[in-house]
Amino acid sequence: MVFSVVYHFLHDRDTAEEIAQDVFLSLHRNLRAIQSAAHAGFWLRKVAVQRSIDASRKRMRRPQVALEDVAEPVARGVPADPMLGETLRRLIATLPETPRMVIVLRYQEDLDPTEIANLMAIPVSTVKSHLQRSLALLREKLVRRGVREE
Amino acid sequence: MDWLEDELRQALRRKDPSPDFEARVMAAARRRPVLTMPRWLAAAAALLVITSAGLGYRYHRGQAAKAQVMTAMRLTGSKLSRIQMQIKAARP
Repeated sequence: MVFSVVYHFLHDRDTAEEIAQDVFLSLHRNLRAIQSAAHAGFWLRKVAVQRSIDASRKRMRRPQVALEDVAEPVARGVPADPMLGETLRRLIATLPETPRMVIVLRYQEDLDPTEIANLMAIPVSTVKSHLQRSLALLREKLVRRGVREE
Repeated sequence: MDWLEDELRQALRRKDPSPDFEARVMAAARRRPVLTMPRWLAAAAALLVITSAGLGYRYHRGQAAKAQVMTAMRLTGSKLSRIQMQIKAARP
């Protein structure tokens, strides 16, 4: 769960493993503060979200391109993307930090807007509007690419 | 459910880290001993430092006051003996 949240947010396996390791070590150091398994889950998600956003900000100051983010040469005139999942992941990677994390938590972790709002310490209405806007944007980009017609 | 939400769930399926990830985390946890101090111990240490600093300052102020009193007494003593000598000299 921790690795996956970071990986889908940063799209970089090495950094995701590094951050996930750091999150688990941090939990190990703070075990006394953990009251239950549910609390541990919440804590791990929360710290993973914070560390992912921090890493993304650091990366923006010092831009890096992970090998897996480099676009493969595209064959001429590809009518539709057969790998819709990869296209979607690339489109999600272009979203700003907060809506990107909202999408990852909603569709990977299957959290509802209230849970996401608690985790990210933002209002539920903000989560809902990020979800609506991001879905509209992703839909529009996919339709424009001819991946799926409305 | 909308097709896009379905596709998003597929695209964002949980991914696993490398197979040796767990072993690496365990090794790192063993390498870094937990050196955190309990909160009560940290608070007690801070209180001790503050109290000792306060006591040290009060002792220093006490010593300074004592020195001032001693100087004042020496001055008063010498004045008194001078007056006494003057009285003795003035007596017939």
